[in-house]
Amino acid sequence: MSRTSAAPARAPAAPVSTPSLRERLLPLWDGITSLKLTIVCLAALMVLVVACTLAQVHLGTWGAVHAYMRSWLVWWDIPGTVLSLPIFPGGALAGLVLAVNLLAAQFRRLELSWKKAGLWVVHAGLILLVAGEFVTGLYQKDNRLSFEVGETTNYVFSPREVELAVIDTTDPNLDDVYSIPGSLLSRESLVQVPGTPVSVRVKRFMENAQLGRLPEGEAPQATAGVGTQVAVRELPPVTSDDAVNVAAALVEPIAGGRSYGTWLVSGALGAPQGFVHEGRSYQLVLRERREYLPYALTLRKFSHDVYPGTDIPKNFSSLVHLVNPRAGEARDVLIYMNQPLRYAGKAFYQASFGKNDTLSILQVVENPGWLLPYVSCVLVTVGLLVHFGIALSRSVRGQARKQQGAAVGAAEA
Amino acid sequence: MPAEGVMVPASPRLDRAARGAMLALALAAVAGCQRDEVAHFKVPKERPVVQTASMAGMGSMGGGQAGADLAPAAVPEGGGLVWTLPQGWKQAQGGGQMRYATLTPPVPGKVDVSVIVLPGSAGGELANVNRWRNQIGLPPIDEAGMASGRRVLKTAAGDLSVYDFVSEGTKRTRTIAALAQLEGSSWFLKMTGDAEAVAAAGPAFLDLLGSVRLESH
Repeated sequence: MSRTSAAPARAPAAPVSTPSLRERLLPLWDGITSLKLTIVCLAALMVLVVACTLAQVHLGTWGAVHAYMRSWLVWWDIPGTVLSLPIFPGGALAGLVLAVNLLAAQFRRLELSWKKAGLWVVHAGLILLVAGEFVTGLYQKDNRLSFEVGETTNYVFSPREVELAVIDTTDPNLDDVYSIPGSLLSRESLVQVPGTPVSVRVKRFMENAQLGRLPEGEAPQATAGVGTQVAVRELPPVTSDDAVNVAAALVEPIAGGRSYGTWLVSGALGAPQGFVHEGRSYQLVLRERREYLPYALTLRKFSHDVYPGTDIPKNFSSLVHLVNPRAGEARDVLIYMNQPLRYAGKAFYQASFGKNDTLSILQVVENPGWLLPYVSCVLVTVGLLVHFGIALSRSVRGQARKQQGAAVGAAEA
Repeated sequence: MPAEGVMVPASPRLDRAARGAMLALALAAVAGCQRDEVAHFKVPKERPVVQTASMAGMGSMGGGQAGADLAPAAVPEGGGLVWTLPQGWKQAQGGGQMRYATLTPPVPGKVDVSVIVLPGSAGGELANVNRWRNQIGLPPIDEAGMASGRRVLKTAAGDLSVYDFVSEGTKRTRTIAALAQLEGSSWFLKMTGDAEAVAAAGPAFLDLLGSVRLESH
């Protein structure tokens, strides 16, 4: 008889209790829906707002917003090294967690009843506010348009993005512009220009560079074009409001299996550069990234008004003639401070001027989510009013019931 | 509605919301990726605009701001070149960046005739000859190759070095270019375009080159 068989018979064991998936996810669900997480996220966003505001001194508005508010993590560059450490959640991460937290809490805690209608609306407004910032971060385009009095332009440009424009200038009336964005240039790879026999091998891309005369005895990096007489030195990119990156690149156009040499292209070079392949003329231009418009704007007049007897600016305005052949539209528009032209999804604001008041610069903002913050604010306001209205109504009814009860009691007494 | 504190299992409603969020994220990612594509626009030609200083004035270039239209290249001190315009040709001052003049011959096809003046040696003869060759896809040549391709044209303004290059390929481009060093400046008179058009206008262009003379101010 084995020892096993000699063992006394045990009572049937109770089934082992293994936690179900639902029970295992419960703590996570609790965490996601907790009010503490809401407060932590709101506190993190407040810290970010303060840090971002202070950082604008060194990074400029655009640099600070991207480093603190539109990033997933805030990074700290360890001095003296090339290493960076994440030290704080960025605005994107805090906002996403807050949106998930609000959404989850909404589903978990709030009853689907008229009694809680106000809170539903408030939550929806807050979620929309966070979602609106994501839409803005992903889709907003912040461009510029500059023209002199009498000049007509049909494009806007991004002051913080570059493009390598390969322009087929063969047609006497129209140019075929092929725009290779800076994001592709930075990969330093071979880029095929669709619809043409031309490929461009990007040998080196510099987000910011300094150009100067090539010193005697120094070999140029370019083998063709004006770049053979130019020395180029890469600089760290700048983000502050009063500094501009001067991008440069060394590119090798290849067409029909033939190399046309290595060209230096940069916004700081004024000379035209181009080559001819199979009877077609091509130009290479590195410039601020353009977006062409299906309509044109002509600056008729720019006004710089001052208060009488002073040099203090009172108003800047641009009288613009808008022509849209597709819509059969031709009209004058006055753009002045805080009164933008809103047209075809874009808002044209008066932003700057120059050249003795003959040059006008407009800021052109395109944001498909521009209405979301307004809708969000309305929702939160309406939600709070509804909620307090319901609470007030319940309170009044309760008071009335109490008074009625007291009156009945007094009558019975 | 579930009471507070009770976990809500993944409901069809939540599942739909999660799927919707994933779809939105995927669409956003796709939209973001589209910015990385090469875009094509067909646009009317614009007036030539320089972005910063020209090479002639280049010291430390660091701008990037849009600038004014470039006026026709200035006539160097001591006077400029003049020539006799062949019959039927037209001439306009400037016409592009660094251009002193733009000429239009009365021939069909694509052809461009420019006169450009730059201070000093403008990089030297060999660099400019190779630049012209490079513009039509020809490989660079050395001093010996340049000397064998050079044709010297004697004019009232001195000797002109004349070069004639034809590209390879099925549709050929031809360049006839002359270079002169005068009064510390480099003058470039160049005709380039479709081989047939350049051949048609070539004799008249050579006559024009032979007529150049220095005009003192």
